[in-house]
Amino acid sequence: MKVAVITRSGKEFFKGGLELNDSATVADLQEAIYKRTKKYHPSRQRLTIPLQPGSKEKPTVLQSKKCLKEYSDGNTDKLTVVFKDLGTQVSYRTLFFWEYLGPLVIYPIFYYFPVYHFFGYRGERVIHPVQTYALYYWCFHYFKRIMETFFVHHFSHATSPLSNVFRNCAYYWTFGAYIAYYANHPLYTPVSDLQMKVGFGFGVVCQVANFYCHLLLRNLRSPNGSGGYQIPRGFLFNVVTCANYTTEIYQWLGFNIATQTVSGYIFMVVAASIMTNWALAKHRRLKRLFDGKEGRPKYPRRWVILPPFL
Amino acid sequence: MAGALSVLKRIYLTVYNWSVFLGWFQVLYLALKTLKDSGHEHVYDAVQKPLLYAQSAAVLETKFTIQLILFKILHGLVGLVRSPITATLPQIGSRLYLTWGILWSFPETQTHILVSSLVISWSITEIIRYSFFGTKEALGSAPSWLLWLRYSTFLLLYPTGITSEVGLIYAALPYCKESEKYCVRMPNKWNFSFDYSYAAILALGIYVPGSPHMYSYMLGQRKKALSKTKRE
Repeated sequence: MKVAVITRSGKEFFKGGLELNDSATVADLQEAIYKRTKKYHPSRQRLTIPLQPGSKEKPTVLQSKKCLKEYSDGNTDKLTVVFKDLGTQVSYRTLFFWEYLGPLVIYPIFYYFPVYHFFGYRGERVIHPVQTYALYYWCFHYFKRIMETFFVHHFSHATSPLSNVFRNCAYYWTFGAYIAYYANHPLYTPVSDLQMKVGFGFGVVCQVANFYCHLLLRNLRSPNGSGGYQIPRGFLFNVVTCANYTTEIYQWLGFNIATQTVSGYIFMVVAASIMTNWALAKHRRLKRLFDGKEGRPKYPRRWVILPPFL
Repeated sequence: MAGALSVLKRIYLTVYNWSVFLGWFQVLYLALKTLKDSGHEHVYDAVQKPLLYAQSAAVLETKFTIQLILFKILHGLVGLVRSPITATLPQIGSRLYLTWGILWSFPETQTHILVSSLVISWSITEIIRYSFFGTKEALGSAPSWLLWLRYSTFLLLYPTGITSEVGLIYAALPYCKESEKYCVRMPNKWNFSFDYSYAAILALGIYVPGSPHMYSYMLGQRKKALSKTKRE
């Protein structure tokens, strides 16, 4: 089968195109492109079927496991695909590891080292019990995240653009320092013992629930990243589409109830809005895919992310 | 019925744009007059009232635009509002910050010579902008010389305006530090602190990537707008 590869502006990417087996898959095509160009690793290739000019539809993205024949609709010996370079990619595991490592390392620095001397606070520092528990809670949280990244999560896409590393690390590391600064401050004012216990207790319960949610999500997918969407079921997913985000947000609420810093609450609000954005998209996608027609199940009525609000 | 509604809208927008135009015209007139008669130290006093009025109009405009965008998002409508929010928000933000956060809050800055350049840069830009939209609403289109002005004066006025803004923020720093205004100190039960001077320094930092971004955005807009008329 002859494959013509063109750019989005219509120009030919390779003179003469590529020659592949009739039974070749998209992955084979990506390998061939990589061999020819040496620069464009398959993970940075985005291949789509060319659209009719003026068509408002979203282009069909070629999926690596599928046969090329499936996309050539009738014309079995010729196919044209549009190539887009997604830029340098990193694996999701790499991305998550670096963004979570920051908070894990930065927070203890504020706790253990005389950082506040550089801010002008001389003299002895009294450390309240809640500050110690907060350290354990925070570090456990990010340690858990890193463990889940390597041992639990099944990712739908193998990679993410390199620029996301800088963007995400800036987000996590800056907020990590912002919260750590106040939570470990020499002039920190602790809350009541009861409030601390309620906060951390609730937070721990939510973290455990969050872990269980991740296990359930993992079992929806096969480990080699073939993606595909399923209706999540079981535990809180019967009630909320993105129960994993719900438990994550509530776990931060627990932390904030116990530590009571404005910076912690700001972080929670920002994180919640980012996750709400994702949750709305996911909920909408699932409702669209599982519309109850043609034998497909219908997506049940559920909260999106934060009952009783949304 | 729909026809009457759109006519009403046009009348409203025409009146609105021209009245804000008058506000900014007043600012420019008073600024130049005071500069000539009394010197730069008195410019702020002379323009304060119309400046604050014209600013409030801009805030209302922004609030309306934001609500319009939210409405469209919520109702699944996608469409472009006149200018992207990422370009207009920094502009409104810096205006408000300078007017209220610096000049109004720290009167010691009001006699600075950069107030004059600031006010003149802003007012000329806005006069052209509002008369452009006012004419477009009233007559259906604006004359090409007005379009040209709208997309060319920024070449000079952005640098002068930005320099004035940065200079005034810098000039206000010692007063921010000394007066402790808007500062929140620890200890407090919310474990929060805010230092207005550091925030001002952060604001200055934002100008470093922000100014080239805004300037190149306007250059792009200029290219688009002026080439469109050439083709017509």
